[in-house]
Amino acid sequence: MSRLKTEVLIIGGGVLGAVVARELSKYKVDVTLVEKEVDFGWGSTKASANIVCQGADSLEFRKEYHRSKLVWDSMSLMEPLCKELDVPFERVGELGIIRNNNELARFRKMKSRAEAVNITTHRFVDRETLRQMEPNITKKAIGALYDPLIAVTDPVRLTIALMENAKRNGVNTMTETEVLDISTGVDEFEVQTCKGLIETKFIVNAAGVFVDKVAALINADDFVVFPVKGYIGILDKNLGVLVNHVLYAMPRVRSEYNMVFPSVHGNIFFGIPFQLCKRRDYSTTREMAQRALENAKGLVPSISESNIINSFAGFLMFRNWELGWHECVVRPSRTVPRFINLSIGYPGISAAPATAKEVVELLAQEGLKLLKNPEFNPYRKGITDFSELTDAGKKSLVAEDPRYGHVVCRCETVTEGEVVDSIKRGATTLDGVKFRTRAGMGRCQGGFCSPRVSQILARELVIPEKRVTKKGGRSRQLLFKSKELLGRRE
Amino acid sequence: MNLNAQKVGVAVIGAGPAGMAAAIKAKEAGAKDVVIIERSEELGGLLHQCIHNGFGLLYFNEDLTGPEYAVRFIERVKELKIRTQLETMVIKISQDRDIMAVSSKQGYITFKPKAIVLTMGCRERSRGAINIPGTRPAGIFTAGTAQRFVNVEGFVPGKKIVILGSGDIGMIMARRLTLEGAEVKAVVEILPYVGGLIRNEVQCIHDFDIPLLLESTVTHIHGEQRVEAVTVARVDRDRNPIAGSERKIECDTLLLSVGLIPENELSLMAGVELDPVTGGPVVDENMQTNVHGIFAGGNVVHVNDLVDNVTWESDLAGASAARFALEVKPVGRGKIALKPGRGIRYIVPQLISGLRDVTLYMRVREPEQNVRINVGDIMSRSLRVVKPSVMIKLTLSAEQLKKLEKGTREIMVECEKRKGKK
Repeated sequence: MSRLKTEVLIIGGGVLGAVVARELSKYKVDVTLVEKEVDFGWGSTKASANIVCQGADSLEFRKEYHRSKLVWDSMSLMEPLCKELDVPFERVGELGIIRNNNELARFRKMKSRAEAVNITTHRFVDRETLRQMEPNITKKAIGALYDPLIAVTDPVRLTIALMENAKRNGVNTMTETEVLDISTGVDEFEVQTCKGLIETKFIVNAAGVFVDKVAALINADDFVVFPVKGYIGILDKNLGVLVNHVLYAMPRVRSEYNMVFPSVHGNIFFGIPFQLCKRRDYSTTREMAQRALENAKGLVPSISESNIINSFAGFLMFRNWELGWHECVVRPSRTVPRFINLSIGYPGISAAPATAKEVVELLAQEGLKLLKNPEFNPYRKGITDFSELTDAGKKSLVAEDPRYGHVVCRCETVTEGEVVDSIKRGATTLDGVKFRTRAGMGRCQGGFCSPRVSQILARELVIPEKRVTKKGGRSRQLLFKSKELLGRRE
Repeated sequence: MNLNAQKVGVAVIGAGPAGMAAAIKAKEAGAKDVVIIERSEELGGLLHQCIHNGFGLLYFNEDLTGPEYAVRFIERVKELKIRTQLETMVIKISQDRDIMAVSSKQGYITFKPKAIVLTMGCRERSRGAINIPGTRPAGIFTAGTAQRFVNVEGFVPGKKIVILGSGDIGMIMARRLTLEGAEVKAVVEILPYVGGLIRNEVQCIHDFDIPLLLESTVTHIHGEQRVEAVTVARVDRDRNPIAGSERKIECDTLLLSVGLIPENELSLMAGVELDPVTGGPVVDENMQTNVHGIFAGGNVVHVNDLVDNVTWESDLAGASAARFALEVKPVGRGKIALKPGRGIRYIVPQLISGLRDVTLYMRVREPEQNVRINVGDIMSRSLRVVKPSVMIKLTLSAEQLKKLEKGTREIMVECEKRKGKK
């Protein structure tokens, strides 16, 4: 087993771990990030709703919560961060849809609560204005509470971009590296992983839904996480611009949000009913799917089941036993020094940039020396999106590199050039390629491109095609060669 | 607009059976500069992965495999020296019929054709499209993707297989995987009857003793990394799972054969109007769409069960496109709409002129015995058995069409139960 020494070990390569890693790479600190999955952003990050908001679930604007501060402070940081990292970010705005006087009263309360904490961007729009802003909205809507600051981004792309930039600036990363045990040495931690021992002075625990389990390995926990999973449906791009803003309506029951919202890639998302669940349970249920669809139709009647191209479930939020539903954990362990626990829960994306800055301060308070890294480069260029280029741009790119003339994924117009680039940048699986390039994310869901992407992966990684996986581990796509099951070799 | 655009007579998009037939007929009808644009490296499309037989029984009066059927057309394309533009993906058709395409060899190409034939075929409905709850492991394939892996790439996806849906490709893959040594644990169909052809039900399912679970569906997928099992439940009349009827079937692979969707993203860009029932363009008896000069044939128009019909339809589309390109005789649009009435799901073409013989392709809504198909009051045909999976083909003669009253705008087509028969 190998042995590795580092100054700061970040556990977890979701958006929080990644944003902390990138923030630390601005300093001359030896940082290692371990991720148990084969790629970054595949836990709660992957399953988040794309929305960058300023009030968590928008119902609460509470000064007393630390989480609120992190979300508000992040609002102004997110757009420049996405620009630096070449990650899509669109400030689409949110409309809280009002259908009756009771809802109007609740939205009024929400607005005044926001104003009490100096969030003054909300304004009411009347029925006609709403209709102009959202022509497909239900006739039952009598108006809306408009918040122009709400934005959408791509959380997995953001995480991958942060990791690429962090690595470029010196952060060491290890995937498929699960933390098994943590113990204290003289003035260091000894972290046992499935890939060997890591010695580190500081630990940042950003293990997402497993954050309390990791903390418990060394009794650094004073909180418990309760995972809640939500369901989000994805509609076909060919519906066009069905909604322009994040649409939000008052839920009918406590266990749901009621939203229809655009994504940066042109699909419309809807959801989100939620329920308590087990930590590894990413399964969707029929009941959730039906409820989500029914709610979505209630907001935008032209949505139909036949427009759904995919759906997913993910951990939306964590109930925190000690602190209450709405609070987050961004603080050093009260029992173990030099150990920082991070758990934002929903909305982790929205709070990420400010959280990273705070973690750096906390580490300094715990004794980490921070010297500026003079070589820090904040910029990262994304994978060229062929389908977004102009005709002239397409022409010159294909002339330069013919692999961009080979379209691999027809639904999303992803070329071999993009797939190869994604593999060069670290994709090792079908899902890794998918989250970086969108190959397989379209309406046929990889029916056409997965055999082709699988071939390219095998070729570029120099492995037999049988070893190509969907998402690492035992998720191989093709289990046997032809005739192998007949006991014969071809 | 685009100075570098290549001027061509007829551009055919897609080189499957439909595209090859259309190009051949266009060329034979005298069209100049016919070009087939195909995204893969060879002509033939999906026929190459359909190594089973049953192709050409009607068109050639012979029982051919998919590749054999393809070769007949590939050779004819060569004989006629039709230009083929392989490994070229069309990414856009503009409203004024310009075609934008990319190829690794030639880069970004623009074509300016006089006429276009759309022959892009169809794609398979995916898991997302039918919204099956559960986890997202590896091991879930559409039947056609699995067919490509097995027959073209040389892999067997798994050894314990459940197939959801009894479409033709699903049933054919049930047999194929059994022959490859895998165990097909069940073919699960939500309807009370099989979705594909009767011959496939007999030859692929019954002959191999594969369990066929009708009025059942997969209600949950299990397994974190690779499929480990599926839950199958019986469904009630409204196709909702019956509580208590669930059982878990262990498997490592789930194939989906739950329907095909005509591939019309390019058609929509070009402003082509689609029929919401077929998912394909609304066409007239010349296979012309609502956009003048754009024709369509085969599975892009409506999903066929036999390749022979795909070929016939596309023959017509190709010949019509040639006429349009040569401007010999303007190809007018049909003015009389054929409307699906009671018992009928759809009819292709949707519009006819009423002046010439025309072949109608139609599907019924439900399986039925001893019925009569009535085309307005100008034609009636008795049929002993009808099934949604089996296309009905009728020819209306010009003679019969003469019976139409002047100014008729609409003809209702119905499927009615014959009186006195049980």
